[in-house]
Amino acid sequence: MNGSEVDVPLSVRLRFGHAAVQTLANTIGVDLLHIKGVAVDPSLRPGGYAGSDVDVLVRPSQVVALDRVLRRHGWRLYSTFEYGSPFEHAQTYLHDMWGYLDIHRFFPGIRVDPASAFERFWVDHHEVEIAGVGCSVPSVPAQAVLLVLNAARSRAGSRPDVQLAWREATAEVRAEIEALVADLDAPVAFAAATGGLDRYRGQRDYALWRIISQGGSRTSEWWARVRAAPSLGAALRVAARAPLVNVDHLSHRLGRPPSRAEILGEFFRRPARAAREAWQGLRRAGANR
Amino acid sequence: MTRLRPAAGVGTLESDGTVYVAPLPDGPIVVLEGIAVLIWGEACGGDRDTIADRVAEATDAPPDEIRAHVDAFVADLVARGLLEVQ
Repeated sequence: MNGSEVDVPLSVRLRFGHAAVQTLANTIGVDLLHIKGVAVDPSLRPGGYAGSDVDVLVRPSQVVALDRVLRRHGWRLYSTFEYGSPFEHAQTYLHDMWGYLDIHRFFPGIRVDPASAFERFWVDHHEVEIAGVGCSVPSVPAQAVLLVLNAARSRAGSRPDVQLAWREATAEVRAEIEALVADLDAPVAFAAATGGLDRYRGQRDYALWRIISQGGSRTSEWWARVRAAPSLGAALRVAARAPLVNVDHLSHRLGRPPSRAEILGEFFRRPARAAREAWQGLRRAGANR
Repeated sequence: MTRLRPAAGVGTLESDGTVYVAPLPDGPIVVLEGIAVLIWGEACGGDRDTIADRVAEATDAPPDEIRAHVDAFVADLVARGLLEVQ
């Protein structure tokens, strides 16, 4: 009997990954919800797409505790909240046995504060068995909301979840979903995926979700992020972050930690890229006049 | 009568006729195929002393020829912490 010499399918490793993370969370009393991938209810994903990683939404006040226990059990930090995505919502780990894990401290598109949003999902969560372990998942309507909000970040035409979770839902289920979207204050991102985004033209995050769901230059995306920030302080932080070098991405591209000179080189390349996009934008505007 | 079950903290998964067993949260994954799947199932489904007899019945093998191998395999699963006495 030698398990280490046999290939294990990714879908199997991911299921054990969910079970392993839940086991660790139980050990230290952390609340988390398994979202996406194999944790999705079969009614929303009849094909049973397993995804390529494990995704969990963690009670925000317990993220640090989960991070510590993950690192003690072989999960290596792959990308940080700060550099993992422009939203700074998720942090990625890699485990030799279980593969990739994304821990989410909030979900993009939800405008109520992260702690309240988690509590709203937690209040009617239930358990599903994954690899023999009871894993906490949001209610099925809440899963539908998360799938639709997630789809808003992909380009139109590649959103099969919206079709099944929203367009083909019964009137009763749609009413539940709409009530949840209202509770979470997530109408703009939801509309970016399902249609009718222009109804929210006056809202601070309208431009951001229009660009994310329909495309736009990096410069216009950063301007939209500044406009979408909930306060002046947050807006300034976004603005200050815009030209920073994404050290995680640079490390993965190089296959090693970047040197100070390489970080500096990348720093000066990015404003040049932004300037090029701005110049092209002006030329296009001129051509259209 | 002694009965066995998957040990506490052990995850199990069946896919396409293969059984995967892993101590959680650290692993590793043990892959059981063919006759090992049958033995695992019988080990979790009845008296420990008759596992070899039930495997023999399912495979038409002479019980005395396979008993030592089956018992050793089950003992290995227990020693690895994958099975425990109920």
